[in-house]
Amino acid sequence: MSDDTILSVRGLGVEFPMGRKRFTAVDGVSFDLRRGETFSLVGESGSGKTTIGRAIMRIHPISKGEILFEGKRVSGRIDASAERLLRQRIQMIFQDPMASLNERAKIDYIVSEGLYNFRLFKDEAERRAKVEKALRDVGLIPEFASRFPHEFSGGQRQRIGIARALVMEPELLIADEPISALDVSIRSQVINLMNRLKRDRGLTYLFIAHDLSVVRFISDRIAVIYRGRLVELAGAEELFAHPLHPYTRALLSAVPLPDPEVERLKKHVAYDPSIHDYSQGKPSWSEVSSGHFVLGNECEIRGWKA
Amino acid sequence: MKRPMPDLAPELFRPALFDEAAAELTGYAHYSYWRSTMRTFLKSPVSIFLLALIVVLVTASFIYPLVSPTDPNRVDLDTATWNMEPGSGHAFGTDGLGRDLWARAWYGTRTSMLLGLIIAILDVGIGMIAGALWGYVKRLDRVMTEIYNVLNNIPQTVFLILLTYIMRPGFWTIVVALCTTGWIGIARFVRNKVLMIRDAEYNIASRCLGTPLHRMILKNVLPYLVSILIMEAALTIPYSIGSEVFLGFIGLGLPLDTVSLGNLVNLGKNNFMLYPYQLTWPTLLLAAITISFYIVGNRFADASDPRNHV
Repeated sequence: MSDDTILSVRGLGVEFPMGRKRFTAVDGVSFDLRRGETFSLVGESGSGKTTIGRAIMRIHPISKGEILFEGKRVSGRIDASAERLLRQRIQMIFQDPMASLNERAKIDYIVSEGLYNFRLFKDEAERRAKVEKALRDVGLIPEFASRFPHEFSGGQRQRIGIARALVMEPELLIADEPISALDVSIRSQVINLMNRLKRDRGLTYLFIAHDLSVVRFISDRIAVIYRGRLVELAGAEELFAHPLHPYTRALLSAVPLPDPEVERLKKHVAYDPSIHDYSQGKPSWSEVSSGHFVLGNECEIRGWKA
Repeated sequence: MKRPMPDLAPELFRPALFDEAAAELTGYAHYSYWRSTMRTFLKSPVSIFLLALIVVLVTASFIYPLVSPTDPNRVDLDTATWNMEPGSGHAFGTDGLGRDLWARAWYGTRTSMLLGLIIAILDVGIGMIAGALWGYVKRLDRVMTEIYNVLNNIPQTVFLILLTYIMRPGFWTIVVALCTTGWIGIARFVRNKVLMIRDAEYNIASRCLGTPLHRMILKNVLPYLVSILIMEAALTIPYSIGSEVFLGFIGLGLPLDTVSLGNLVNLGKNNFMLYPYQLTWPTLLLAAITISFYIVGNRFADASDPRNHV
């Protein structure tokens, strides 16, 4: 683990009870987040990408592995000071701006909720000032503080959600599909805001998404997850230029191209897990080229390296 | 096909300015939950009439004993004043001991209203807190469900009769008797609601911010329940008044020197064949109170649903 690693996920496993049996949502996922980068987790619905984000935030208990934030363990049983550290320095942005704001609370309370929880202000004036600054930072007017969430549009609501996270002055933001529920016309509004905040404050993003065209635009590195396991991890351009795992290829083939001539000629690939012959040699997580990791058995890796 | 552009001088045009701050203001819509609820509620003349009836009955029953010199318990030894027909100086007539039924009706309404109000406040108060915890804290679910099963499976009548035998009959005995079983029904109702909103995304957001449980319940859960709780309270009042009347009717209600609607109905039924007005007046009053509370409560529940705010 190098010095600039901010968050380290080691062999993470999350299971949910399903009657008597247990359903494994995430299985043996490991990755490091470097300070200041945008790291994206992509995968289809139900692949476990949201679960990873929520496991880091301690919403879901983990069954295996551990999570380290700046070298300190923040998973499993931790004391109050570690919990405090986690809550202040890691924050989350949610998918659905219609569901993620408390409809019966004013914006003033929604944004200052975290401040109240940790008494992060000396007096009422300082709290107001912090709320005002957070609203300005996301391009909203401070007068909005006295209004209710239903008075705002989807893009405005998502920015209120970002202000709520920013007011804690986090270092790491987990963005759980922050633009999937937004109209195409306001997606760029939120993406540009996130990019600006990253630049101004040196934030690190864990960006969870299924929309690869957006992911390519904002990510430094991308990890592809399939049924709770990472199958490929590489730098954004490297992954788009040389996708190795068949699932990644299938995923990339689904990205629409703006040129209808090219789009018509494109062949869609469907991923079928049975193409892997794992009877000899279990798949393992191997580095094919510098910084490019793939899940595969020895035979496959040899083919990909060539 | 291209349409030819008409000849227009460029100086006729002026570039539109884009003000980003002004654009932010467009999302604004005036909507107040409570104002819309009241507007929807007051749309129906029936609700207005019944609400007015409740207000009149409640104020009259609390003001009458303060201003009237008539003692509802004064027994007249002159048999000529016994069982007098309504009219004749006594608006509702007199009962078998010459007591003025008009005065007794108001005193009785006051006792019953007070009883219903106290029971409603206790039931809803306890039920709300217990239900919020029951729904929110997963470990409590098993225990509370068992308590619910036990309390809910004791026949209400048997339980009430048993309690009034154990404790001395009186106002607070009935309050305790009705509350011990009443809160759990409301608690279960609240629990089901809480289960629906517990896993909403804004609650996960609050957990990510480290919000403690008590503030989650106070800020994230209870505001969504207020309208339901008002309705529950409005429905508990007529239920409690009815229960008191039922207990009075089988002779286990309040002591006979307390004037209540239950005692009035109980005494009235004994003379019903000879002097029917002694039963009909208190019963009509009882019906007016319970029916208006039920309908107003239900109308309010409908009005408090934002889907009905057109």
